[in-house]
Amino acid sequence: MKNILPLILILLLFSCSKEVKIDIPGYEEQLCIDGSIETGMPPIVLLSKSQDIYSPTNLDAFLNSFISGATVTVSNGSSSVVLDEICTDNLPAGTEALAAQLFGIPVTELANYHLCAYTTLNTSVWGEVGKTYYLTVSYDGRTYTSSTQIVQPTNLVNSFWKPDAGLTDWGYSWATLADPANQYDGYKWEVKRINIGIDGNPRDAFFTKTYNPFFDDNFFDGLTFEFFYENPMSWNDPAIPAEGKGYFQLGDSVVIKLSKVDQNVFEFYEKKYAQLLNGGNPFATPTNIPTNISGGALGVWAGFSPSYDTLYCVP
Amino acid sequence: MRLFLLIFFTISSFAALSQQKSTISGYLTDSKSGEALIGAKVYIPSLKVGAETNTYGFYSLTVEKGTYTIEFRFTGLETLTKEFDLNQDVSFNYEMGTTEKQLEEITVSAKKGENINSTKIGQIELDVEKIKTLPAFMGEVDIIKTIQLLPGVSSVSEGGQGFYVRGGGPDQNLVLLDEGVVYNAAHLFGFFSVFNADAVKSVNLIKGGMPANYGGRMASVLEVNMNEGNNKKFKVKGGLGVISSRITVEGPLKKDKGSFIISGRRTYIDVIMKAAIPDSSPFAGSGYYFYDLNLKLNYRLGPKDRIFLSGYYGKDQFNFGSKEDDFKVEMPWGNGIAALRWNHQFSNKLFMNVITTFSDYQFSFGSAQDEFQIKLKSGVRDLTAKVDFSYYPSTRHKVKWGAETIHHTFNPSSVSAQSQDVVFDTGTPEMLYSFESALYAMDEFDVTEKLKINAGLRYSMFQHVGPFTRYVKGDISTPDTSITYSNGDIVKFYDGLEPRFSGRWLINENNSIKFGYSYNYQYVHLTSLSAVSLPTDIWYPSTDKAKPQQGWQGTVGYFRNFFKNKYEGSVEVYYKGMKNLIEFKEGALPGDNLNDNTDNLLVFGKGWAYGIEFFFKKSVGKLTGWVGYTWAKTERKFPDLNNGNVFPAKYDRRHDLTVVAGYKLNDRWTFGASFIYATGNTLTLPSSWYVQEQNLLFNYGARNSTRMAPYHRLDLSATLYDKAYKTKTDEITGETIQVKKKFRSNWSFSCYNVYNRANPFFLYVDNDGDFLNGDFKISVKQVTLFPIIPSVTWNFEF
Repeated sequence: MKNILPLILILLLFSCSKEVKIDIPGYEEQLCIDGSIETGMPPIVLLSKSQDIYSPTNLDAFLNSFISGATVTVSNGSSSVVLDEICTDNLPAGTEALAAQLFGIPVTELANYHLCAYTTLNTSVWGEVGKTYYLTVSYDGRTYTSSTQIVQPTNLVNSFWKPDAGLTDWGYSWATLADPANQYDGYKWEVKRINIGIDGNPRDAFFTKTYNPFFDDNFFDGLTFEFFYENPMSWNDPAIPAEGKGYFQLGDSVVIKLSKVDQNVFEFYEKKYAQLLNGGNPFATPTNIPTNISGGALGVWAGFSPSYDTLYCVP
Repeated sequence: MRLFLLIFFTISSFAALSQQKSTISGYLTDSKSGEALIGAKVYIPSLKVGAETNTYGFYSLTVEKGTYTIEFRFTGLETLTKEFDLNQDVSFNYEMGTTEKQLEEITVSAKKGENINSTKIGQIELDVEKIKTLPAFMGEVDIIKTIQLLPGVSSVSEGGQGFYVRGGGPDQNLVLLDEGVVYNAAHLFGFFSVFNADAVKSVNLIKGGMPANYGGRMASVLEVNMNEGNNKKFKVKGGLGVISSRITVEGPLKKDKGSFIISGRRTYIDVIMKAAIPDSSPFAGSGYYFYDLNLKLNYRLGPKDRIFLSGYYGKDQFNFGSKEDDFKVEMPWGNGIAALRWNHQFSNKLFMNVITTFSDYQFSFGSAQDEFQIKLKSGVRDLTAKVDFSYYPSTRHKVKWGAETIHHTFNPSSVSAQSQDVVFDTGTPEMLYSFESALYAMDEFDVTEKLKINAGLRYSMFQHVGPFTRYVKGDISTPDTSITYSNGDIVKFYDGLEPRFSGRWLINENNSIKFGYSYNYQYVHLTSLSAVSLPTDIWYPSTDKAKPQQGWQGTVGYFRNFFKNKYEGSVEVYYKGMKNLIEFKEGALPGDNLNDNTDNLLVFGKGWAYGIEFFFKKSVGKLTGWVGYTWAKTERKFPDLNNGNVFPAKYDRRHDLTVVAGYKLNDRWTFGASFIYATGNTLTLPSSWYVQEQNLLFNYGARNSTRMAPYHRLDLSATLYDKAYKTKTDEITGETIQVKKKFRSNWSFSCYNVYNRANPFFLYVDNDGDFLNGDFKISVKQVTLFPIIPSVTWNFEF
């Protein structure tokens, strides 16, 4: 659908827009499950409710959409564990930064809200390569189920950096991928810079996804090829000047996290990013994002199988 | 074979019956230009019988032997009344001309009672000269926009290409330019049609009661015939407008034997943009233009043979570039049509027309960013051979039969992509080949003086042939498989009978009731991902998986004329049922051709439409025009869409009102106005939002459950003609005389959307701000395309 972007541009040359109030029928409240599990990590599940399009959109309304009081169970076929409900107003010490990142609110605000996540310290259901994980959520008299697999990871052949045309200090992160032949492969690309910033800490605390981080091997099954990705942190990094936006800087040290996902998870994210990128585009078909959860919930239960590569940004 | 035997015996019996009769036949042409007159009337008042010229100006009228006074009538031309001795067959060709007589009177006589008498139901002929005086968007006279002002016909919106007839999709209209199929009748996303009004001679729209000689589409036929060119003298006409200009040259190849016409148009938005965007700008090189070219040649090989060669080529080119992002897009699309026709008159009763046409529509999209390039192509190419016979055995019968075959080549979508030297495997382009053929026979006959019937039968068939690879998609437990068909293998065969029937019951000379029924098969489909029609929509044939669309329509109408035929009125009701309609699956994102067929992404369903249309027209006098009102409903039901529930089609419009008026103040000033009011279109908007990984995501409500605000607009126009005569002193007598000017011109002023209504083009849900900052907001925004747009065009002719 990206190919009709220019059409929109030319049409918008002529156009103007205004806000209107129009009846949009069809709202029904649904449970949204945002669950993930990755190699060596505990399962984490957030639960929220969908909101009417014209419902209030202030911070309270957003935070009140999260729910607690559900029973969430994860099983790997042999072990089954009921996850613990851990809430922001009663967090175990040392988990504040993670919780803040999970909910997208500052650490200082955490105690002011009762936002709950479901996880466990029981390592028997932490992520392992090759295993399938089953999720069951019981809430308000209804039960929702799903499963996801942590597939075999694929390592990058190499990663490298080169200045972009006409520049000396700025360039994309490049990599060579040898896609395994004759099997489905879905990928997610995330990065963080680990070189020390002016505050004495690594420049990025967490991995950040790129603009469109998911791709699969539909076009390149079994091929070996080079490709590049932008620096997603650069847009909001005041230390990077305008000419360097989108690029990594000469001297950066970057950890690339390339995660594999199963096909159902990829389909959720493919349509999710199609919706995010086409948001409001009248030429795109209205796409409800498919879910791998049965029982009438929205969202995804996603297994990630990461491999890591460190890139030193030198020519 | 049985069909042809039937036709043979029918003709033989007519021949036996007609031995005591004589026939008058020939061609009627315009004395000024030599152009064939389409739809001219040949009428015998004493018998109250008549005939009409066909597309090539040919007529044939068979009556009991005797002497008759016969009238030859055509709108805008002087009626000829002449006595003929029809004790033997007579061949009579005539060039009809104008006099200084008031055109108004002539118009009345020519069209007298046609609304009441003919069996045509759901058919409207448009007068091209009248269209030219109506308000035109940016000064560009547009036939498609004009037919959208008729009841039962609508556009999706400004900026949407195609038109919608009685609840059918845009692919259900058979658009013919000199019998060649036009797959995309729009330039610039529907703002202009591909028909250059200067090159067009006649426009006929059939929206119900489709006769058996047409087929392949379910909703309507729009038949556009090009001018043949003046075979008397050379003429040039043209126009200079704000964003486009056009020129037409016509003249004799050999006087009274043959003629040519060549007509071209080009927009210059790109030239304006080039001037406005400096070379240093990051967007230098961006722009848009379209051009088109019409050409037609005709030649009389003898008194009974004539050949025509028509051609159309049009191209839209859109370029966009951003130097900053090293991003470039090129998007050309266009139609090419060629038609070669041969008319032969076997006898004064039997007329044959042999046609071969070539029709091609191609769309391409190329984009490059840094080292990554992608190219997408789609298109359709038709080769058609067709033969039609018209037989006029008596005044009570007009028989037609014929056959046609089309070879289709479809390329729904082929993608190629590469990054540096690595070429991605996007599969081989999906090419689909098929043959579509039909046989038909029909007879228009007077059962009694009051009852006239047009009955016909069409037998159509369709073969999807190889080479073709069918990919059968498996699921988790069954792997994908494929079936390969070689060149010439028949992948799938479909056929069907299409009965057609229309009739007229004459109550009295001012009132009649008409009725029609038609059954149609449609073997090609247009698939669209978007809410509006775009050149990116894909034409797709019937395959082993995609069955042909089928539909029937029943229509009944009451027709009445008032005040000696000065006013015409009609009320028509219709119901139509459709099946095997196609749509993309929910969430389908067709991209590549790798191990897949496009039809694996399609779902199939049915639809229905019904409505009532009121039409009131005044075609004579200083004030002319019409008022049309339609109440309609059109719905769809697909098991795999909208949870299997019924939903309104995207062009479902409950109310549609149009008012069109022209006023001729004097010989120099003509004014025009058009007003349209229509219920808003439907669309699908998100009814709720939810959050995943801190991203705000939307969940859409029922399909097409939201309705936009109503659409209404008033356009006005004024045309100022120069003086037709200049004053000159006669060199011999010294008297002051009035001489008709050779060079004529007029200024055409138009104003689109006079009261600057912000009509909805589309709606979208916008979200802005941040939850944490407390300024997050979700709102529904309406995008409007055109504000008030005045324009001026200077037209000339010499």
